[in-house]
Amino acid sequence: MQFLSLNAFFNECGAEILKAVRAPEYILPTLVLPVAFYALFAFAIPNSGVDSARYLLATYGVFAVMGPAIFGFGVGVANERDRGWLDLKRASPAPAASYIGAKIMVTLIFASLALIPIYLAAGFGADVTMARSAWFMLFGLHLLSVLPFIFIGLALGFSFGSNGAVAISNIVFLGMAALGGLWIPAFLFPSALQTFAANLPSFQLAEIALAIVGAPSQSGVDRMPMHNLTIVAIMTTILAGLAFWAWARQRN
Amino acid sequence: MSGNTENKISSDIIIYAKDLSKKFGDAIAVNSVSLSLAKGGITAILGENGAGKTTFIHACLGLTNPSSGTLSMFGQPPGSISVRRRTGSMLQDADLPDLLSPREHIELFASYYPDPLNIDVVIGMCKLTGFADKKYKKLSGGQKRRVQFALAVIGNPDLVFLDEPTTGLDTDTRKMLWDVVRQLAADGRTIILTTHYLEEADALADRIVVMHAGKIIADAPTPEIRSLAGGAVIKCVTALSIKAISVLPAVISVRRSGRFVEISTENQTSALQGLLMEDPNISELIVKKPSLEEAFERIVHDKEQE
Repeated sequence: MQFLSLNAFFNECGAEILKAVRAPEYILPTLVLPVAFYALFAFAIPNSGVDSARYLLATYGVFAVMGPAIFGFGVGVANERDRGWLDLKRASPAPAASYIGAKIMVTLIFASLALIPIYLAAGFGADVTMARSAWFMLFGLHLLSVLPFIFIGLALGFSFGSNGAVAISNIVFLGMAALGGLWIPAFLFPSALQTFAANLPSFQLAEIALAIVGAPSQSGVDRMPMHNLTIVAIMTTILAGLAFWAWARQRN
Repeated sequence: MSGNTENKISSDIIIYAKDLSKKFGDAIAVNSVSLSLAKGGITAILGENGAGKTTFIHACLGLTNPSSGTLSMFGQPPGSISVRRRTGSMLQDADLPDLLSPREHIELFASYYPDPLNIDVVIGMCKLTGFADKKYKKLSGGQKRRVQFALAVIGNPDLVFLDEPTTGLDTDTRKMLWDVVRQLAADGRTIILTTHYLEEADALADRIVVMHAGKIIADAPTPEIRSLAGGAVIKCVTALSIKAISVLPAVISVRRSGRFVEISTENQTSALQGLLMEDPNISELIVKKPSLEEAFERIVHDKEQE
């Protein structure tokens, strides 16, 4: 039985990869846009020195992993639920863990594919230098950042039809990016908006990433990465609960 | 099997439902249904749209929780993993992801089951050979239904649910599906199909369960259901009025059909004697067994009169 589940999991991963690769029009923008934006803001604009390249590496990394997580789960689950595919899977002996596990695996693969060109652009294009351990820690943090966004995607996927999910996922994706200070640092926001930004997981994750690269905090006060980490953990737990609630609610 | 001796539902009972009800808000989709289904054979659940067929199947598959009553599958709660490993299903509105091929879909489903059938055998059996490696979205409606049917059987299940399997299918595909269903039943599997095609239930099923407005209103072997329509149908051309015929002995109902009248009777001999007495000049006389459609209409009609 153990072997059976593992076999189902590998098949499920393969199916998810094939689906993604066969629809390049959906997956390419989430892979290409983050590095294109990063290149534009980090060194195509004059006066943007190595400090801003370092700063934006931290925040654009969070931006890069949000796309595969929110769209992969939000739009993917909504679409498969809409067409009755999830019902057929639930009636079959397919392990629920392997369906979700395969989607997480594929999200991590595409998140890595979105991150690596940004890291290459930062290291070789913009001459960002850091200790090797800092590079690895940053990469680990960026990969782990998919977690809260996966739960957001799941909550959306279980709550909306496929068309609605596309629209709402876009709003959430762009809102999290812009208001979380991933494009323009939050310290440039009006103060009311700064307070709001602190409630977004994108902002809190960016704070931890900024601490790892040794860039200044967005909040203007002393850096508190442990504090940010705790907030992210609490937010992720709440979002997991929300995703579970959305899942339970759509079953009748 | 649990060691619970009180719960002595024999392992030959595959579905056991007692007073099963399902409400959606104020609407009652399934209303106090009791049914016991033994291993083997083809059972058709027959009824109009909204009769509760699909809700009942969804409850059996563990997709929907009953509001009240008892339901067990293979002596286990519906939806438990041991039940799902023995069950295959084709749902009415389940479409598969567009970008995988039939073969990929079948391979994926095969990996869920402990002892699946051979993939190439299933591809041949369900006549997918010409398009097994095309993308699902490129297939015609009938081809898609065949792939969905293949997913219901790939796991080598003891029990197969087919919810309206042939709705919207061309005649060839329907006949192919019927052949495979008969073959599956001949192998000792239990098949449950819902349909609103009486012809389909008549051609395939050993047992017919008629659902109407959430209730089971008839449940019997197919020939018995057919005989519920009365003994025979007399079809002829006559000068007599419908009213005059309806008062003749042993006549259940009369209707006009073009030049003909169709007389449903519980005793063809006395009805014919009475008819010939009133009109010796009747012509183009046919006496036939009632169709399942006539039986079905009669059962539903009687129920609505109550």
